[in-house]
Amino acid sequence: MLSDNPAPVLDIQRLSKGFKGNGTQLTVLKDLDFKVMPGELICILGRSGCGKSTLLKLLAGFILPCLGQILFKGSPIKSPGPDRCVVFQEDALFPWLTVEENIGFGLKGKKITRAEKQKQVDRFLDLVGLSDFRNYLPKEISGGMKQRVALARVLVLNPEILLMDEPFAALDAQTREKMQDLLLSLWETLGHTIVFVTHDVREAVALSCRTMVMNKMPGPLLETVAIDLERPRSEENEKFTAYTGRLKALVSTS
Amino acid sequence: MKWSLSWGLPWILPIAALGFWILVGAFNWLPSYLLPPPLEVAQTGFVYIFGTPGEAPYAGRFLSDAIASLYRVCLGFLLASVLGLVLGILSGRVSRVRQMLGTSVNGLRAVPGITWLPLAMVWFGIGLKTTVFLVAMAAFFPIYLNAADGAARVSPTLLQAGAMMGVDRIRGTFAILLPAAMPSIVTGLRLGLGISWAYLVLGELSGVPDGLGAVIMDARMLGRIDMIVVGICLIAIMGRITDLMLKAGLKFCFKSAARMT
Repeated sequence: MLSDNPAPVLDIQRLSKGFKGNGTQLTVLKDLDFKVMPGELICILGRSGCGKSTLLKLLAGFILPCLGQILFKGSPIKSPGPDRCVVFQEDALFPWLTVEENIGFGLKGKKITRAEKQKQVDRFLDLVGLSDFRNYLPKEISGGMKQRVALARVLVLNPEILLMDEPFAALDAQTREKMQDLLLSLWETLGHTIVFVTHDVREAVALSCRTMVMNKMPGPLLETVAIDLERPRSEENEKFTAYTGRLKALVSTS
Repeated sequence: MKWSLSWGLPWILPIAALGFWILVGAFNWLPSYLLPPPLEVAQTGFVYIFGTPGEAPYAGRFLSDAIASLYRVCLGFLLASVLGLVLGILSGRVSRVRQMLGTSVNGLRAVPGITWLPLAMVWFGIGLKTTVFLVAMAAFFPIYLNAADGAARVSPTLLQAGAMMGVDRIRGTFAILLPAAMPSIVTGLRLGLGISWAYLVLGELSGVPDGLGAVIMDARMLGRIDMIVVGICLIAIMGRITDLMLKAGLKFCFKSAARMT
């Protein structure tokens, strides 16, 4: 699955991050080291408060590391940019824009023709199955649909990496499963590199090539588990259950 | 049913008030030199609006008075809007600006608008400038405060979403910050316009020759209570109409105003 080019898209080196508050220094991440290869779908699994969202913000460039560095295709990340797009947990769509306008938002500044922009928007509306809802406002559609818009509006920018911060956590179980299937099919079609943060063990096994279980702060990543399962994955599969069991054990000891 | 109800509801209170007013006149609960009956007021209003100038006191003056008043309100309100929006949004987003302006603005806000009248009369004399100054002074605060509050409460996620989609600062301000703060901005502008009318009358009470406030003051001195009531009703109507126009105008110009308010 990896291309013949072995250079990692993301190279995280001795990454540390802390926050100052009330005169005390709170270390959230310490000495993280890992690489993400092109086209990989990795999950970062951990309980709330373990710093996984902080890690994602660092990768996005919303905040900068205290120590160490994050190399994106060889150069350090200094600011957010459309090559590393984020799908937020919820409510990050522009409420004054329709579904279609939200998806086209990032294309506005690009130097391509209006017709080309419309073609792109239409393509991704179709890919996430929202063509019939193009003129709806975010408040008029369901939570699952909103996340599909959130996905489409970043995919249309053709980012190098997709950073997803528990994007399906607020959805009901059935919708979540549908969204996971949609994400996998998009990943298989478009081949993006995806870093997916979750606290859901089952989700990590269903999606990822590799899952990294994060330790409670301060600490290094506890363990990386390669999920060696054929796709499409079924929860009924014995190996699936074995992986969830193993990850669960890792999360609860951490 | 629902359609007719929603059209009827706004008129229930005015019609009830009118009915009560008719009763007051019919049963002589109040002498007419305190509250003239509706018919008399309506006649005065008709003469004031449609009469030919010179045929009776106040006849036909409405148009020129209304234009004079509207001009003062618009000028003052425009001044307040520009200053209030720019400073408000800056202080909502930039903590240095907030620190610099906060104390002064809130200190000045505590001063009742009416206390500026004597000073304004000394500074600007009687007339347009004083009225515009008072209107702008009063309308500034709700516009500033609401814009600042709206800008400060814009979800950081929306701005982050913009940043990761490659939106620069300038486009971020106009394409994300302003639309996201629009509901508060609209509230501030509407409050500001309402207050503008209040301070217009205050400014015109000080002795200008034309304008709705001037007519009311003039009528008081001549004991024309009916004319005072006409003036009050016309200010209410014009205030309401300008508010509706402001709302419709904002909705027409900005998607965010149309879809979020």
